[in-house]
Amino acid sequence: MRNNLKKYYPVFVLPTTASFLIAFVFPFLAGIVLSFTKFTTVTNAKWVGFENYIKAFSNEDFLNALWFTVKFTIVSVITINIIAFALALLLTRSIKGTNLFRTVFFMPNLIGGIVLGYIWLLIINGVLQFFGVTITYDASYGFWGLVILTNWQLIGYMMIIYIAGIQNIPGDLIDAAKVDGAGFWGILRHVIIPMVMPSVTICLFLTITNSFKLFDANLALTDGAPGRETSMLALDIYKTFYARTGWQGVGQAKAVVFFIILAAIALLQLAITRRREVEA
Amino acid sequence: MTKGKTKLGHALAYVILILMSVIFLAPIFIVLFNSFKSKLYIASEPFRFPTAQTFAGLENYIGGLAKTDFFSAFGRSLFITVFSVAAIVLFTSMTAWYITRVKNKFTSFLYYAFVFSMIVPFQMVMFTMVKTANTLNLDNLWGIIVIYLGFGAGLSVFMFSGFVKSVPIEIEEAAMIDGCGPIRTFFLVVFPIMKPTAITVAILNAMWIWNDYLLPYLVIGTDYKTIPIAIQYLRGGYGSIDMGAMMAMLVLAIIPIVIFYLFCQKYIIKGVVAGAVKG
Amino acid sequence: MASITLKNVFKIYPDGFTAVNDLSLEIRDREFVVLVGPSGCGKSTTLRMIAGLEEISKGELYIGDRLVNRIAPKDRDIAMVFQSYALYPDKTVYKNISFGLERRKTPKDEIQKRVMQAAKILDIEHLLNRKPRALSGGQRQRVALGRAIVRSPSVFLFDEPLSNLDAKLRTAMRSEITKLHKNLDATFIYVTHDQTEAMTMGDRIVVMKDGVVQQVAKPQELYDAPCNMFVAGFIGSPQMNFIEAVLRNKNGRLYAAVNDEAIPLPKTEILKELPDGKRIVLGIRPESIITEKERFLQDEPVLCGKVDICELMGSEVFLYVDCKDTRLTVRAPSYSAPKADEEILFQLPKSRLHIFDAETETVIR
Repeated sequence: MRNNLKKYYPVFVLPTTASFLIAFVFPFLAGIVLSFTKFTTVTNAKWVGFENYIKAFSNEDFLNALWFTVKFTIVSVITINIIAFALALLLTRSIKGTNLFRTVFFMPNLIGGIVLGYIWLLIINGVLQFFGVTITYDASYGFWGLVILTNWQLIGYMMIIYIAGIQNIPGDLIDAAKVDGAGFWGILRHVIIPMVMPSVTICLFLTITNSFKLFDANLALTDGAPGRETSMLALDIYKTFYARTGWQGVGQAKAVVFFIILAAIALLQLAITRRREVEA
Repeated sequence: MTKGKTKLGHALAYVILILMSVIFLAPIFIVLFNSFKSKLYIASEPFRFPTAQTFAGLENYIGGLAKTDFFSAFGRSLFITVFSVAAIVLFTSMTAWYITRVKNKFTSFLYYAFVFSMIVPFQMVMFTMVKTANTLNLDNLWGIIVIYLGFGAGLSVFMFSGFVKSVPIEIEEAAMIDGCGPIRTFFLVVFPIMKPTAITVAILNAMWIWNDYLLPYLVIGTDYKTIPIAIQYLRGGYGSIDMGAMMAMLVLAIIPIVIFYLFCQKYIIKGVVAGAVKG
Repeated sequence: MASITLKNVFKIYPDGFTAVNDLSLEIRDREFVVLVGPSGCGKSTTLRMIAGLEEISKGELYIGDRLVNRIAPKDRDIAMVFQSYALYPDKTVYKNISFGLERRKTPKDEIQKRVMQAAKILDIEHLLNRKPRALSGGQRQRVALGRAIVRSPSVFLFDEPLSNLDAKLRTAMRSEITKLHKNLDATFIYVTHDQTEAMTMGDRIVVMKDGVVQQVAKPQELYDAPCNMFVAGFIGSPQMNFIEAVLRNKNGRLYAAVNDEAIPLPKTEILKELPDGKRIVLGIRPESIITEKERFLQDEPVLCGKVDICELMGSEVFLYVDCKDTRLTVRAPSYSAPKADEEILFQLPKSRLHIFDAETETVIR
């Protein structure tokens, strides 16, 4: 008698749906429309067609931010996943104290981007002062600073997921490989890696999207300096909106492009790695 | 496989793990001892322990607290996080149950809309969302709960829906025969079964909302600062930072997180894994 | 007073599928009725309509004298035991049993009394503080029963409650449910796909197929006089033998032609009226075939076949006999049993034959 439940729509669905409309659906649709207009507040929008998109793609800062973000994402995704997977392998051996190590490695994940940014600002500037410079001296310092910071934040998280994946491998399978004469590397290549592909899918997804969307730590650590050279996409969009009057439409166009790139990468990655997953 | 080889392997594993632990913990300790140094010495020799000359006692803490009004910020962060998470857990679980159990075009459209919202970055809706919040007078501590509920609904509805699908419908029918209407069925029977998922959803959202900077900064502004906003506010114009106050406030910001983590570690790690696997 | 009346009840799903087709049935107060049939025959749907979990598309349902089509499950004075037990996983056994009473605002001490009583009947007093996941399948089954009986409803509905138990436990629970029915003043409606359960438990059995009631009868009646080939084949194990034949009705002689044999048929009025050459199906139960020479009937022909397989069951044997193109299952006492590959002589006594119309598959009587 599901009809009975049906009538309870206002209780069960309305609060979430109303908030969802306010905080997501309307802003999302309005955002797409506004990206084709020139405006300073929402009420004075004027249709300009693709002008904002043309401006966005001819904007040095945006292209630089895009390239910086892509580079940053590639480097962090690789380093985070390799280190996290290696730690997971170490922590799934039968040694004592794994829980303690797991606790330590995961902890930075709970600290928010702003706090992280200032922690690493102190440390990186502390190291760089031996060379008489600061992090804003050169864009490559900011780049590696962000890579280290993101590694520190996300390695523990990904490690936990890899550990769960490795622990899910049936012991029989590893025993069978041992009986078949496989050594450590053989087991790793032919048993462990194929079997943790679902975890790889998840970890790649999380690291790619998190790196791509990075904002708080970017703001706190370099704020884009020197110049706009270490601005990532999210920060560049934010500054286009709020630090440059008359450019809100361009900011919105950049945001739409940002969304499309992110969605495309995420879906493509999921499609590719999902295909490599094997059944247990 | 010889015993010696395994032993060597274990020793090597420990060396690597201990080294990594030091790397992971060092930044926090460095911030901790720097917070007791006078601010002039923090930037110039950050890796040295405080000495009699550089030790500043609680000076940084006193100055920082005054500058940031930290305890108010803490209260606001706590308020927003607790009430937003409660609203998200309550309302999205109800919604997820409804749209999983009542099958029609509207509910399946709603489901896909929620799933879609998960891949949309904040910047996409940032400007228009803030304008909407202003127009509807949601630009305050209570209103932001509505915003968090709406923007956080996607992941939470998705996770609850996944769980509801695994609950045998016969249990709900039994409840109906036992005399429950839809509301009692949900609160007395379905929700208690969903508790593990509710914990996961609560933890993921709490981590997000507690640390969120941009959304409250844009929606509420700097009149009512949360912790991340208060800390970012220590960076003055032209990027100058009072490092003494900064170190002290970083320590104060980290302490509650570490305490929370040590108490709820089991749930947090389980929740994060469950959330990742389903998301 | 809890008789149940279904009048021309239909269940038609939005996609047009008819799960229950024009079902009319009267169940008397305190009767034990079993709905039986293969999966997808509409038996569970019927039960769920009686429970109020499924809407009735067309027709009327009365519990007692009350039309209950539009009445919520909780107000129908029924209890239901589900196949998966459907226990509340987060609640203790005690809470599981008392939950329904609490919803009905029964006083606390009354609840306590009734839960203890139910627990005693079912012998689960020592489990009251456990959670369902700490129970075995049989114990869960008892808790599910306890949840039903504690409310002392006038109607109990069972949806294949024993199908998740192993064979031994199933037999034990079967007799316990029967006992329960004797002790409680309630009407039982029991759904199963297992004909043994149906035969051993029900006062009356309702056989269903494709949403249509095939036959409603007492167990023995159903076994002795099935109304069509489906019921005849569904009830009884091993299955009834079916032999395709042609009716010969010439010059006052009445017999069935099977291959080259002529099998005499009883001279009933109806058979005499039927035309010569009509296609019929003969049905005979494995235990009705006579294989012992000393029991052979004088005036009936003796047939011959070859034993293909011989299954020893202890007190008896099942023989699978090939007789030209026909294969027959024979149930014989083990002392007189031939072995595999041996010839066997047997009789199909005409008094034990069931004769079906080959086209309509209904019995010709």
